[in-house]
Amino acid sequence: MKFKVPIFDVKNLNFIVRGQKILSDISFEIFEGEYIAIIGPNGGGKTTLIRMLLGLEQPTSGEIKIFGKKLKNFKEWYKIGYVPQRATLVDENFPATVEDIVKMGRIAKRGILAGISSEDKAMVEDALAKMDILDLKDKMVGTLSGGQRQRVMIARALASSPKILILDEPNTGVDMVSQQRFYTLLAKLNKEDNITILFITHDIGVIADDIGRLFTINQKATICNDPKKMLSCEEVSELYGIDAHALHHHKHEH
Amino acid sequence: MFEMFEYDFMQRAFVAGLFIAVLASISGNFIVLRRYSLMSETLAHSALVGVAVGLVAGYNPLWVAVGVAIGAAWLIEYLRSAFSLYSDAILAIILSGSLAVAVIIVSLGGAFNNSLFSYLFGSILSVTNEDVITIVIVGSISLLFLLLFSKELYFIAYDEEVAQTSGIKVKFLNFLLVSVVAIIIALSIRVVGSLLIGALMVIPTVAALQYRVGFRNTMLISLFFALFSVIFGMSLSYYYSLPSGATIVLSIIVIFIISLIINKK
Ligand SMILES: Nc1ncnc2c1ncn2[C@@H]1O[C@H](COP(=O)(O)OP(=O)(O)OP(=O)(O)O)[C@@H](O)[C@H]1O
Ligand SMILES: [Mg+2]
Repeated sequence: MKFKVPIFDVKNLNFIVRGQKILSDISFEIFEGEYIAIIGPNGGGKTTLIRMLLGLEQPTSGEIKIFGKKLKNFKEWYKIGYVPQRATLVDENFPATVEDIVKMGRIAKRGILAGISSEDKAMVEDALAKMDILDLKDKMVGTLSGGQRQRVMIARALASSPKILILDEPNTGVDMVSQQRFYTLLAKLNKEDNITILFITHDIGVIADDIGRLFTINQKATICNDPKKMLSCEEVSELYGIDAHALHHHKHEH
Repeated sequence: MFEMFEYDFMQRAFVAGLFIAVLASISGNFIVLRRYSLMSETLAHSALVGVAVGLVAGYNPLWVAVGVAIGAAWLIEYLRSAFSLYSDAILAIILSGSLAVAVIIVSLGGAFNNSLFSYLFGSILSVTNEDVITIVIVGSISLLFLLLFSKELYFIAYDEEVAQTSGIKVKFLNFLLVSVVAIIIALSIRVVGSLLIGALMVIPTVAALQYRVGFRNTMLISLFFALFSVIFGMSLSYYYSLPSGATIVLSIIVIFIISLIINKK
C-alpha cells in the first residue's frame, strides 16, 4: 500500500495572543493537486493561519508538517510559492523592473554563491509567459496597474517551480474583468501544471465553480468538501448569510 | 590640476576616498531600501566613541571605532528584536547616547583638539599609510560580502517575509549587513568624518533612485555619483583647505538636487 504524503499536515493548531484566542484547534491536510479557497470574516485568522504554515508565526500549540517533515526541519522552501496580502501595494520608488522581481524567485532555488544560469533565465521567461506578462519584462514595477502587479507577484512565486501556491487575498484592488481572467489563470495552473493552490478570498461567488474544497476560518476551521454544495454549507451561509445567497443569484445571471 | 597628486598625503587620501565611495554607495543601496538610513547615522556616532577611546588611550582610533560600531550595530539589532520599541526611537537613543559618551571621554582625556575635529568632519591630511592598508584590506572583504549576497540582500530589502519563506537566511544576512555597514562607517571616518559619513551612504542612492531604473542600474548610478563627489569634494578640500567630509557631502547634495530637477514628473 502506498500513502500519499500531504503537502501540509496540520494538527490541533492553537494560537493565543495575550489571552485572546485567535485560532482554535485547527486540523487539516492538503494534498498535491488540490485547489482550495479559504474564506472567513475580517480578523477571522486566515492570514495568521497561512503565516503559521510558512513559519512566519509560531503557534501556541499544535503541529505542522510540510511534505512529511516537521516545519522546523523543512528546507525545500522553493517548493512553496507565497504571495502575501497587499503584495500589490509595492513601494512606487523601489528600483525594480518586472524581470528583477521575477528573478528573485530563482534565488531560493540556487546555491547561495551561484550566478544566474541559463536554466534560471528560462524559468523566469517561462513564469512571465505563464502569467502573460512577457511584454512587461523591462517595465518598472512601480508604474504597473494593480492587476499587472498581481501577475508579477505570482510570476515571482512561480519562478521557483513550486508545488504549491499560497495566495493571500490576491484580488484586493483588482477590477472584475481582471479578477475573472485571474481565476481562469489559477485554474489553468492547477489543471495543466498540477500546481496545488491555496488562496484566501472574500468573493466566493466568483470562484465557486472551479475550487475543490472550501475552508472557512473564523477562529475555528470548517471544511466544506463538496464544491457543488458549497454555498449551502451550513457554516458558510451562517457566516456570509445573505451575502452567499446574493452571490449565488449573481452567478446565475451570467 | 594634477599637481595635487605629487603629494603623498593626497595619493593616500584618494585611494582611501575612492575605496570609501565604492563601499558607502553599494552598502547604501541596501541601507536606503531597507529603510535603515538613520542606522548609518547612528553607527557613525557610535564609531565616534571608538575614536574618543582611541585618541585618549593611544590606540589606532580606526580599529577601536570598528569594534565599537559593530558592538552598537548588534546592540541595535538585539533591542529591535527583544523589546517592542520603535526602531527609530532606539536609533535616536543610541545616537545621542553615543555622542554623549564620546564627548565625556574626550573631555576627561583632554583630547579636545584639532585631531578630534578631523574625525568629525574628515581631513585629507590625516590619512596615514596604516589607514590606507586597513581600508583596502577590510574594505575589500566587506565589498566581497556585499557583492556575494547582493541578490539576497536585494530580495530582503524588497520583502523580508517573502524572502524568508523562500528559504533565505534573513536574520543572518541582516546581522551581517549591519556589521559590514558598521565596518564601512568606521573606515570612512578619516576621510569623510563621523558626522558626515551618513550622507555619503544615503544620498547617492536616493539621487540614483530619481532615475527610476532597475536594481543594477540604480546601483551603478549611485556608485558613479559617490565616486564623482569624492573626487570633486577632495579636490575642493585640497584647493581651499576645507574639511574633506564637508566638501564631499556638499558635492553629493548638489548632484542630488540636479537629479531631482532633471527627473521631476
Ligand atoms: N502576532 C500577533 N499579535 C497580536 N495579534 C495578532 C497577531 N497575529 C494575529 N493577530 C490578531 O489575530 C486576528 C486575526 O488576524 P488575521 O490577519 O489573521 O485575520 P484575517 O482573517 O486575515 O482578516 P482579513 O480578512 O481582514 O485579512 C486579528 O485580530 C489580529 O489582530
Ligand atoms: Mg488577512
